[in-house]
Amino acid sequence: MRGPVMVSLLPGITLFGIFFLVPFFVLVATAFARWGGLDFAWVGLDNYQRMFDDPVFFKAFGNTLFYAAASMFIQVPLGVAVGMVLALRPRGWRALRTIIFVPFVISGAAYAVIFSMFYNPRSGLLNNVLGALGLSGDRDWLFDTATARWAVAGTFVFIIGFVVVLVMAEIASIPNEIYEAASVDGATTWQQLTRITLPLLRNVIGTAILVRLLVDIGMFDLVFILTAGGPDDATATLALYAYRAYLNGEWGYANAVGSVILAVGLVLIVTVRRAFRIGERAL
Amino acid sequence: MRSAESVAAAGKRPRWAHVLIYGFLGAVALLALTPTVWVMLSSFKTGNQIFSGEGFWPSPFTVQGFVDAFTQIHLHEYLLNTLIYATLGTLGALVAAFLAAYPLARFVFVGRNALVALFSLALALPLVGLATPVFFVVRELGLFDSRLGMVIFYSALQFPFTFIVLRAFLVSTPPELEEAAMMDGAGYFTTLLRVVLPLARPALATVAVVAFVNIWNEFFFANLLLVSQENQNVQLALAGFKSQFGFNVTGAVAGATVVMLVPICLFLILQRQVISGLTAGAVK
Repeated sequence: MRGPVMVSLLPGITLFGIFFLVPFFVLVATAFARWGGLDFAWVGLDNYQRMFDDPVFFKAFGNTLFYAAASMFIQVPLGVAVGMVLALRPRGWRALRTIIFVPFVISGAAYAVIFSMFYNPRSGLLNNVLGALGLSGDRDWLFDTATARWAVAGTFVFIIGFVVVLVMAEIASIPNEIYEAASVDGATTWQQLTRITLPLLRNVIGTAILVRLLVDIGMFDLVFILTAGGPDDATATLALYAYRAYLNGEWGYANAVGSVILAVGLVLIVTVRRAFRIGERAL
Repeated sequence: MRSAESVAAAGKRPRWAHVLIYGFLGAVALLALTPTVWVMLSSFKTGNQIFSGEGFWPSPFTVQGFVDAFTQIHLHEYLLNTLIYATLGTLGALVAAFLAAYPLARFVFVGRNALVALFSLALALPLVGLATPVFFVVRELGLFDSRLGMVIFYSALQFPFTFIVLRAFLVSTPPELEEAAMMDGAGYFTTLLRVVLPLARPALATVAVVAFVNIWNEFFFANLLLVSQENQNVQLALAGFKSQFGFNVTGAVAGATVVMLVPICLFLILQRQVISGLTAGAVK
């Protein structure tokens, strides 16, 4: 059995080793080097020193956390609420679930095209609707430092399909008897939702936050295509900041930033897992 | 699924509750879909109407944008590349993951748990952090800006997710059938192919759809690893469309619509697979 098992594991281990493990070790090592193709020299902590001296890095860091917060405090709660309401099975809930899920399968690049049109100061739908309502309809949402970050967050906070289906699946696994007993005791639908369902969703809410945080910490496509990080880096993210260094041929520096991205991801994940007590069921 | 019905049946809801429920769901759906629907409708508009921003509905109605998307932007070339990447990348990930998931679900050996944990970790990290070293490794292997390289890379990128879902599925199925087959003298790979594979078909279908859509929508690594226009995928084409707005806006908007419709249609047809695949991947 030993032989076949080894052969069986080989393709997976090879793919994983070449494209995840090797890059990971290259990243960790070269984060302490000046490296740009042919040029290579160990520089100790210089890359990190430079990072912490660069206000743009902190701007990108802050924006990344801003997007993560938008997901955590707008997108996920909204998705949980919609999931709970849909789980009440109002007439037409299947169709509504489909409609609300569809935006989730559209790519970041497509959203960049959609929202560069939607936010367009002259021909965009947003300003036309606002103008028709008699509100000021000439703001350049994406390229005004006051609104740029919010405009970017607005492209994804309503894409809640994933949270909705997670929540609905979890609610479906709650035993019937609990609700029957509550009904017998005279609990209203509202009481059942807030006192029974919501507490039982803790785990899945944590999972939804985790999955979303992962996307936000690595956020790139939308910002890169939509604003290229502008105006004045008001929408830039860590991934975009690292990418700029890569384009400049400063690979060591890009990798130091990359290590921060991975570390932030790890810290947030461990924190959320603890806070929501995820993983208490076995692997 | 049963429990919710009892909540619904718990009492007939009053009229105001219905108004509240549908008002809320309608508002959310409107916020989530309006920009996308508006852009899709815009792909039937003339360039003049798009630039003027007048009117929600196309007037006059035209399919010139779709003609431009194929004749001028050559969308079909990007579509073909993406189809190759998504199909073969999914297949590669599926084969590698299935082969690895089976022994890691069934047998106990030294390093098994470490290997499972390692594969799972890749799904829990923001992989864009690895951009530069991935570029470096791919280039050193001679796979930079190549279709074959992209297929192999996407197989690797989708491997952790595919592996985790398949392994969880296999762990939850009883081993009796395989044991019986092996007792009858069937070898490891015969058992895997004749007994386990048919058993795992629903799980394979589920992860395949999700992996396909993921690769179809992938932008970051395509942008990093492809330069020639002849190798680019549709997401790179979309990014290019933004700069096309100036001279061929109708083609760009119609092209974006076509690119979006592929995963949307897949989802509408295979809704159950997509939803259960995503749910399984997240909860594991």
